[in-house]
Amino acid sequence: MNPSPHDPSRRGVLSLATTAGLTAALGALPAFTASAAPADRPDRTTESPLPAGAAREQLWWRAPGDEGSLIEQGLPVGNGRIGALASNDPGHELLLITDATMWTGGLNDTLDQDGQFPYGRADFGSFTLLARLTVDLPDHDLGSVHDYRRTLDLAQGVAGCSYVRSGVTYRREMYASHPDDVIVLHFTQSGGGRHTGSITLTGTHGEKPDSAESFGAALPNGLRYGAAVQARATGGKVTVQGTRIDFAGCQELTVVVCAGTNYAPDAGAGFRDASLDPERLARTKARAAAAVPADALRRTHVADYRALYGRFGLSLGTSTAGQRALDTWERLHARARDDEPDPELEAAYLQFGRYLMISGSRDSLPLGLQGLWLDGNDPDWMGDYHTDINIQMNYWMADRTGLSACFDALADYCLAQLPAWTDVTRRRFGDPRNRFRNTSGRTAGWAVAFSTNPYGGSGWWWHPAGNAWLCTTLWEHYEYTGSREYLKKIYPLLKGACEFWEARLLPVTLPGTSKEVLVDDHDWSPEHGPQDARGITYAQEVVWTLFGHYCTAAAALGRDTRYADTVAALRRKLYLPEVSPTTGWLQEWMSPDNLGETEHRHLSPLINLFPGDRIRPDGSTPKDVVAGATALLTARGMENFGWANAWRGACWARLKNAENAYRLIANNLRPSTDGRNGTASNLFDIYEAERGRGIFQIDANFGTPAAMVEMLLYSRPGHIELLPALPDAWAAAGHLEGVPARGGFEVDLRWRDGRPTHVTVRSVGGRTTTVAHGSTTRQITLRPGASVTLKGFGR
Amino acid sequence: MRSSSYSALPARALRALVVLALTAGVTAAVPAARAETAAAPPAAPAAPAAPAVAAKPYMGWTSWTMQSSKYPGLNPKGDYSYLSEANVLKQTDAMAAKLKKYGYEYVNIDAGWWMDWSWTSHFDEYGRQKADPVRFPSGMKAVADHIHAKGLKAGIYLPVGLEKGAYGDGKNPIWNAGGCTTADIVYDDLRTTNGWDSAYKIDFSDPCAQKYIDSQARMFADWGYDFLKLDGVGPGSFKSGDNYDNVPDVAAWHQAIEATGRPIHLELSWSLDYGHIADWKKYSNGWRIDTDVECYCNTLVSWENSVDDRWDDAPAWTAHAGPGGWNDLDSLNVGNGEMDGLTKAERQSYATLWAIAKSPLFTGDDLTRLDSYGLKLLTDREVIAINQSDAPPAEPVTASDAQQVWAAKNPDGTYTVALFNLADAPAAVTADWAALGFKGRASVRDVWNKENLGNRTGGITEALPAHGSRLFTVTPRGTRLAWTAHEAEAGTLAGNAVVAGCSACSDGHKVGNLYSGGKVTVEDVVVPSSGTYQVEVAYVSGDPRSVLVSANGGGGTSHRFASTGDWGTVGSVYVPVKLKAGTNTITFDSGTGYAPDIDRIDVPTSL
Repeated sequence: MNPSPHDPSRRGVLSLATTAGLTAALGALPAFTASAAPADRPDRTTESPLPAGAAREQLWWRAPGDEGSLIEQGLPVGNGRIGALASNDPGHELLLITDATMWTGGLNDTLDQDGQFPYGRADFGSFTLLARLTVDLPDHDLGSVHDYRRTLDLAQGVAGCSYVRSGVTYRREMYASHPDDVIVLHFTQSGGGRHTGSITLTGTHGEKPDSAESFGAALPNGLRYGAAVQARATGGKVTVQGTRIDFAGCQELTVVVCAGTNYAPDAGAGFRDASLDPERLARTKARAAAAVPADALRRTHVADYRALYGRFGLSLGTSTAGQRALDTWERLHARARDDEPDPELEAAYLQFGRYLMISGSRDSLPLGLQGLWLDGNDPDWMGDYHTDINIQMNYWMADRTGLSACFDALADYCLAQLPAWTDVTRRRFGDPRNRFRNTSGRTAGWAVAFSTNPYGGSGWWWHPAGNAWLCTTLWEHYEYTGSREYLKKIYPLLKGACEFWEARLLPVTLPGTSKEVLVDDHDWSPEHGPQDARGITYAQEVVWTLFGHYCTAAAALGRDTRYADTVAALRRKLYLPEVSPTTGWLQEWMSPDNLGETEHRHLSPLINLFPGDRIRPDGSTPKDVVAGATALLTARGMENFGWANAWRGACWARLKNAENAYRLIANNLRPSTDGRNGTASNLFDIYEAERGRGIFQIDANFGTPAAMVEMLLYSRPGHIELLPALPDAWAAAGHLEGVPARGGFEVDLRWRDGRPTHVTVRSVGGRTTTVAHGSTTRQITLRPGASVTLKGFGR
Repeated sequence: MRSSSYSALPARALRALVVLALTAGVTAAVPAARAETAAAPPAAPAAPAAPAVAAKPYMGWTSWTMQSSKYPGLNPKGDYSYLSEANVLKQTDAMAAKLKKYGYEYVNIDAGWWMDWSWTSHFDEYGRQKADPVRFPSGMKAVADHIHAKGLKAGIYLPVGLEKGAYGDGKNPIWNAGGCTTADIVYDDLRTTNGWDSAYKIDFSDPCAQKYIDSQARMFADWGYDFLKLDGVGPGSFKSGDNYDNVPDVAAWHQAIEATGRPIHLELSWSLDYGHIADWKKYSNGWRIDTDVECYCNTLVSWENSVDDRWDDAPAWTAHAGPGGWNDLDSLNVGNGEMDGLTKAERQSYATLWAIAKSPLFTGDDLTRLDSYGLKLLTDREVIAINQSDAPPAEPVTASDAQQVWAAKNPDGTYTVALFNLADAPAAVTADWAALGFKGRASVRDVWNKENLGNRTGGITEALPAHGSRLFTVTPRGTRLAWTAHEAEAGTLAGNAVVAGCSACSDGHKVGNLYSGGKVTVEDVVVPSSGTYQVEVAYVSGDPRSVLVSANGGGGTSHRFASTGDWGTVGSVYVPVKLKAGTNTITFDSGTGYAPDIDRIDVPTSL
């Protein structure tokens, strides 16, 4: 019996489609470009709309958001490039619209007096809003409607709300279409109702509007941007009134918005496409989409979305009728209050992360601290790319949950930045004021600071090991996909990072021995303890991993054989951390003493417990190292905030401590009230920046799902382990469909009473792997495209 | 000219009867209701006869709101200069034209009528306040005459005590009190009184003192005033202590007004001391329970300063409002739109609370510039009818959390139910019928929206904007719930918790000292099926306090309980508690803070 609801042949088609998509993406196009004429696009499906997602894949609420609450209550939509947070207020629909490339700032290569980078909104820059769309329906004031209900259909990628006013049921839906490159709002009713009101599209940077249908302007850094809106109605009238679009007596109303910038991922061109007029292109796209019937726009969007969303499925068990009766916000409260597992909510939380990934990471810049979603122009830490956990965590789940295609944004970003990163490193890293400079006096390759922007610029302090961690993250994508083309693409990044470390590593003789080892120069273990420590564990571990990857890559591509030998030799001499005789912890510094904060949020010295693989509780790692890592993880504690909990959860999953891992996931699912750490009503992860002020940090929305998958399936090339850390809460019954495994495989897995009952492994390029559960191990060999169903794990 | 509608009958005797009846009714009704079904707030017993003054919460206009505002253009001649004869007459005419037909009748002149633009006072030779000839060139009587000619009633204002400027070295004679001078009516040490220390405290042990009050009352009666706001009254007005005990002043005013033979409504201001409610009820027709609603800023009011305080402060006073004397929440400034300083949702919530709490409905808005939404809020006949009805004031039936439900049981068996979302973001709010004492269906009318919503089972949920509200009339069509009582003192105590005597509590005891981890667990709570039950919690709390409520040792939900006014008064609200079929425990845990004392809980015997 095939337990999968997916038709296997359909999956095969999708796999091929994805591969084709991957190839196309390699020739990274500018972010905002003309597309095929919408009306006759080849991907315009004529299939009838897919049924709405099952209830377990719908989030729902009984209140809208408002302008002041969009971070907690706004529903995110996005097509990977443009996004919006929507209020879904019946009388006052508000969308705050972003484009991933809408950034102030620039190269930022004039260092401060301390040899580090400026970190302001003008110099380094900030991710900002592009536009603000309102659709006002004065007669539909929230105070005059009943039975308000708001949904986010994760299975279709459609947000919306419904309500009753004077006996008429009104519905509105919104989504951001990738194929049509627009945000669509569709207002309908049943019962003889009408829509009357007005639409405004404005900027948020002091633009002077002169037209209702579009605007364009440039930021002080020269980035041009523009947005356009079109409205179409059935019945009634739509008229342009100055800087407003009025609509009156409309049975149905479709509003289409497009926006973009002239950003180009090309350091040589100063990250601009001088030939692109964003306002004009937005007008063209909005007009084209508005000419397409609303149901066709929707079908096209849903089919496109499903092609990604449908690649992965999971069930963690069945929730109770009482849990199902609660709206999403109440359900988060009940889950925390009663401390009772709510498996369907937990699975939906994971799928929400996938929704955000599909909505936020396609064909443009990668996801930063807030992904594609802002509620103002002053996001904390600029909404930037933080290279010491956050951007990496954002992408842990992409491959793990069948969204390999969404990973390309990160790889393309790094590749596009590389010339600038290399240039700034060459000119600035050796600055005598830079306390992290190389003692050797030599600088090579590339490095970044803790923050990076899309203009080749770094912000705040230099972060030597950041290059290595970016590279190991990029490498994992290769391990999942096995794409040689992709490996070729990222190879220069790997090699440049190795060159940097070749110039940086210092030979030292270990005290009391004659053994010479190589260590990292003056550095800071993120983000605590001494700032001039040599040989920090974080750098030693991640560079060790980087060097290994580089050697594998060079061999696979048949390139740079001699340099690979050099790197391999360096790797053999790298110092690796010891366990402190004082604390029993894996040392974070080359010291037996705890030089930092015991419960610090970062787990940098455990980078090779997760996401790396060097430290494994399977007998391959010295027991004392595993014990030291476990002791350090234990000391770090279980009560932190979003991303810190997610990382801890993934580490506990690697240590096969299912209950600790689950507890950390549960901690992240606590409802955030009054700005406290936890999950907001809209499931955005909230970090309490200061008492009463919570801010959105999207990393936990991705890191928590990654940890959840790690609990259910561990893989590294050549090895797959089923249900390594299955908590009691999910043990009764569940399944995974299409979960990728490193080494080039996909797994379908069903379990009952904690044991696998059905296991199918498919090769998407991998040849040989072991598949293990507990002490049961199988060795399988498959041709690419072939699959095998394994039996016997359930006993 | 005296209006024929004025009764010459002194209102006082009737008032006293009503007050006694109310007090008895409340005392008796609470335990009785608990013993039976402990459903909705007890209905006030029908008053034997309507008092001549303040039979209903009064309705009208006050000058102070615009006087106090920094809104551009309102006070061109300096602070508080909005108050002028021309402006009062203009507002009178606007009220007569727009609001009178809905019941608005009082035009109240507030502070400053005896002061010039620079706030310097005028007094007559008897130490009585004298109209400023520039502010009121025609004099106060002419203004009252104009107001009466429009079929309205006139209100005037005084601070309590002998104003310092009236003292005149103690030599000013008291009118119609042969030989008495101002020196006779104050203390030798000229101790000061009132909320601003702007007056000498009057020594009522000297008979001249009453004569001075009589002379002021006579003056107002002669001018034809129907209403007096006596301001700065203590204990209250942010003052306490002997020098600020103005109960004798209020009693003297009561007596003086009675002696005039004119029914003059006496309203006390501001933030009157709850502990003296018996005095306020005995001697006056209304008492400001809180500080000024005005923000003294660029608008008339603002939500945070201090409209939103009323949701916390009104509940304790609820039981004390009734014919003859009402809890005054201060002016209702929802009519002007932008100048009010509130969102539309806030304006509706403000109007809703004032209406259901049976506060006087007097606005301080510019009645010549009401916007259409403001006019709708101020003139909704159903809402006004709720305010003016014979039903008791509404009070919270849920905890005073960010989302809360208030209700009152009406004499006809329906309920007035208001949902409030006091949070800064939109939220869903649910009125659970169990918190009204019944289960099953009820038909619901949306009062503001003039819409019958049909039958709703179990309750009604609405999406409310930030600071938003809904107002319903709910007609039960279901069955009454039965309840099982559990005395808190029979529970298991932990931490500092102790059983304490409490004469107002059922069985004479409560659990107190619930602080810093102190908790009480009520055992053996048996219900037939699992689900969320509305558990009625009777408690005592002299200030608003929060408590963590949990079942069966699970995680607690923090609920904030409104003050019951003092540590001898019991209040009750319903909190949702998730119970399992069979035997449960319910715990009230102070956590790291201070929790209310718990008297007892009543658990529905079915869902």
